[in-house]
Amino acid sequence: MGNKRNVRNFCIIAHIDHGKSTLADRLMERTGQVSERDMEAQLLDSMDIERERGITIKLTPVRMFYKAGDGQEYEFNLIDTPGHVDFTYEVSRSLAACEGAILIVDASQGVEAQTLANVYLALENNLEILPVINKVDLPSARPEEAKKEIEEVIGLDASYAPLVSAKEGLNIEEVLEDIVKYFPAPSGDDTAPLKALIFDSYYDNYKGVILFVRIKDGSVKAGDKIKTFRSSQIYDVVETGVFSPGLTPKNGLFAGDVGYIAASIKSIQDVAVGDTVINAVNPATEPLPGYKQVQSVVFCGIYPLDGSRFNDLKDAILKLQLNDASLIFEPDSSVALGFGFRCGFLGLLHMEIIQERIEREFGLEIITTAPSVSYKVVKTDGEEIFVDNPSHLPPVSEIEHMEEPIVKADIYSPPDYLGQIMDLCREKRGVFLQMTYLDKSRVRLEYNLPLNEIIFDFFDAVKSRTRGYASFDYELIGYERSKLVKLDILLNGEVCDALSMIVHEDSAYTRGRTLCENLKEAIPRQLFEVPVQAAIGGKIIARETVKAVRKDVLAKCYGGDITRKKKLLEKQKEGKKRMRQIGNVEVPSEVFMQILKTNKD
Amino acid sequence: MAGIYIHIPFCKSKCSYCDFTSFPDKLCYAESYMACVYREMAMREKELSNYIFDTVYIGGGTPSVIDEKYIAMLIAAVKKHFKLADNSEITIEINPGTVSAGKIALYEKCGINRYSVGLQTAVDGQLADIGRVHNLKDYLNCAKLLKGKNFSADVMIGLKNQNIADIEYTISVAAKSGASHISMYALTPEDGTPVYTDYLNGELPDGDEVAEMYAAGVKKLASFGFERYEVSNFCKKGMESRHNLNYWRRGEYIGFGVAASSCINDTRVTNTFDLDEYFKCILSGHFAVINSEKIDKRGQEEEFIMLALRTSEGLNLKRYAELFGEDFSVKYSRQIKKVQEYVEVNEISFKIKSRFLFVQNSIIVEFFNAV
Repeated sequence: MGNKRNVRNFCIIAHIDHGKSTLADRLMERTGQVSERDMEAQLLDSMDIERERGITIKLTPVRMFYKAGDGQEYEFNLIDTPGHVDFTYEVSRSLAACEGAILIVDASQGVEAQTLANVYLALENNLEILPVINKVDLPSARPEEAKKEIEEVIGLDASYAPLVSAKEGLNIEEVLEDIVKYFPAPSGDDTAPLKALIFDSYYDNYKGVILFVRIKDGSVKAGDKIKTFRSSQIYDVVETGVFSPGLTPKNGLFAGDVGYIAASIKSIQDVAVGDTVINAVNPATEPLPGYKQVQSVVFCGIYPLDGSRFNDLKDAILKLQLNDASLIFEPDSSVALGFGFRCGFLGLLHMEIIQERIEREFGLEIITTAPSVSYKVVKTDGEEIFVDNPSHLPPVSEIEHMEEPIVKADIYSPPDYLGQIMDLCREKRGVFLQMTYLDKSRVRLEYNLPLNEIIFDFFDAVKSRTRGYASFDYELIGYERSKLVKLDILLNGEVCDALSMIVHEDSAYTRGRTLCENLKEAIPRQLFEVPVQAAIGGKIIARETVKAVRKDVLAKCYGGDITRKKKLLEKQKEGKKRMRQIGNVEVPSEVFMQILKTNKD
Repeated sequence: MAGIYIHIPFCKSKCSYCDFTSFPDKLCYAESYMACVYREMAMREKELSNYIFDTVYIGGGTPSVIDEKYIAMLIAAVKKHFKLADNSEITIEINPGTVSAGKIALYEKCGINRYSVGLQTAVDGQLADIGRVHNLKDYLNCAKLLKGKNFSADVMIGLKNQNIADIEYTISVAAKSGASHISMYALTPEDGTPVYTDYLNGELPDGDEVAEMYAAGVKKLASFGFERYEVSNFCKKGMESRHNLNYWRRGEYIGFGVAASSCINDTRVTNTFDLDEYFKCILSGHFAVINSEKIDKRGQEEEFIMLALRTSEGLNLKRYAELFGEDFSVKYSRQIKKVQEYVEVNEISFKIKSRFLFVQNSIIVEFFNAV
């Protein structure tokens, strides 16, 4: 490999919507990586869902060449990062593959929760940070204040931060020059044993798993035997290459390079993100730091709407898992919903994305149960188990106590909404830690909150109570003992297992009542009266009644009405196909999703 | 059994709940229209030469709004082109505001032997509200003209501001006026009609209230000796509308005129709803059909079940076996079990218990296939 001094590996970090993907697109355009004509809105976000939601889920590195003001040509490797708290670990691994990070701050919004979370991650990975003030073309832009916030809140010198508009292409040149100027070239020893950091991977139908790597030391080329530090399996390297963008074969990757390795790896589960690729013949003795086993945070049941499509659902989940090692699942069955899967996710967004992808990419209609977290159950015999599925909870008599996962939450908000946020956190059993005024217009609130309180609608509630001004981020910090109970829902006297949930004792009554009220609205009237009850143990704590239907007839049915009436009944029948029979009650599948909305604000 | 239906798409003014094919401003076309209807009959004569029709029903619109001579010519045309059974039932729908002694006399003379009178409600304010052209007095006059004849009165429930007392009163008026048959229909707010706005505004009684009204109405009707033979139809003993029973037994029928529907040989045919188009087709010697559907065995069966279960006699098991070659209670044993609380089964019939007739869709749908 040529001159490492002319290589810059960097990523872009930002709060959601601050313009990360737009800036990336602009950099690619300016370096001639893509012509303007080929620009589909936001190149890096290639999944439909990514583009629609304006978020990045899957990492897409890209290599660019830039002729700098000093007359030399530089190779830039831009590693995109997912922009959501669910993917913090993935972000930290892609940061670890870089020497520098461009920190984008929206000129009108200033520093937000994820800005800070990402900066900390970058600092942990010893990255050089280049602040960039974006969206300076907006009338509401206040670049000087944004700079001041960066200096005061983050403690970075922002005086030299370029003021850009990625959308308008303003001052992009300055960013490119700063990349050359401020980011260090990669170091590393080409002759040392191979150490390559896996920062992402995906499954290719022909080549097997493609590893996205940053070579820290040594080199790798086709024909080499490699293995990962945490697995004994040895693979033959078939191909190596770089991203420009898209996979471009290039034989041999050397220290400092960002590229990919294809080695006929069958399963993505065997090569975890964060693991170190080493040479099997001449193995390095120490792995790269920072590897963590990814753990599911949120769980839910996924069932096919049409029970006969269980196998299709299985195929879909298996295919998604090929590209998503953090998606875990196991077969599950429910009295109400039949056969399906219990799935674990990195967070709520991850869950939503998977659900959406199953529906969109595989054309499957699914029913999902309420999300749950993993509880630690300490049994009376001393055994500790983790339970994420309410119906797997041992009988009350066998439970000594239960513990629930706790997160530390950071909320950034204008001071006007402090009251609302504190009320919300109190409602959600939050424990106040501290409050810091960042400047006149921004306060940082720190809380410990039970994870199960924030997986439902906390994020929406924060946004709605602060008119969208507040931002929120969290990290898991551990388990705490808590008074948890299993809340069951009975329809016409029968427990509906798919609607059971684990809740805190104090909120059980409210939640039971709200659930019954919601269900009363959501369950269509049947030929008989249906009691909807919430119960803890054997005790009924709330009840609503779905009244019996009393009028359900077409008044007139003569010669000309027959077709219409037939169509009406066919439609009604079609609707019934979307219903699940619980005891003798017919419940529309949507109900299982509607109950997630427990608060009527 | 087979019936003939003729649609007269004219009226004096459009009622606020009406979404039938009727044109209040086109009465001037009545003569040309009727000429087309006669012609349409001629066009079907050969095809139906083997049929003997038991009933004729002249509906609308308001058939009584057009000059009675056209009705006389119409009956003559029916008799010219088709064979009618000796004791055939010939019904005409009339509006109390558009009849006279002379009209009735001519109807009678040309063989009409049954009248269906649109009373709707005996409360004048409500009549005005739904845009009817008549009032209670008109109805009573009309009933006087029909004294001694076989006539039916239509009564509506679920009107704006209507209460149970209004319904009971209306039924008494109808019963005491000499009607031998009463149809009690729940108002159906159809999209595009003025009452639909009332419905959207929440001004109409809701389903539960209508169910109360219906129950009260059924009771009141029974007190006057009117028995329910179909969910919306009640009569004195033996006074059922044979024409309508034919629909519910899934008999054959032929319809003439704009928007008319026919079902012959398991093919359901619908005429255009557009008056001009109807004229153009017929005058150029073509059928005015906009939709023709061959009903497959499954569809026939679904229709048979759904129609039969509207009636108090229910589904005739022997007839079912003849038509479909299977034992109903065997074929549908699973479904029957599911709805067993709401139905009655014996050797002769399978029917919905009378108190569940008003929620029949939920029961019938069990016997349907999804599309």
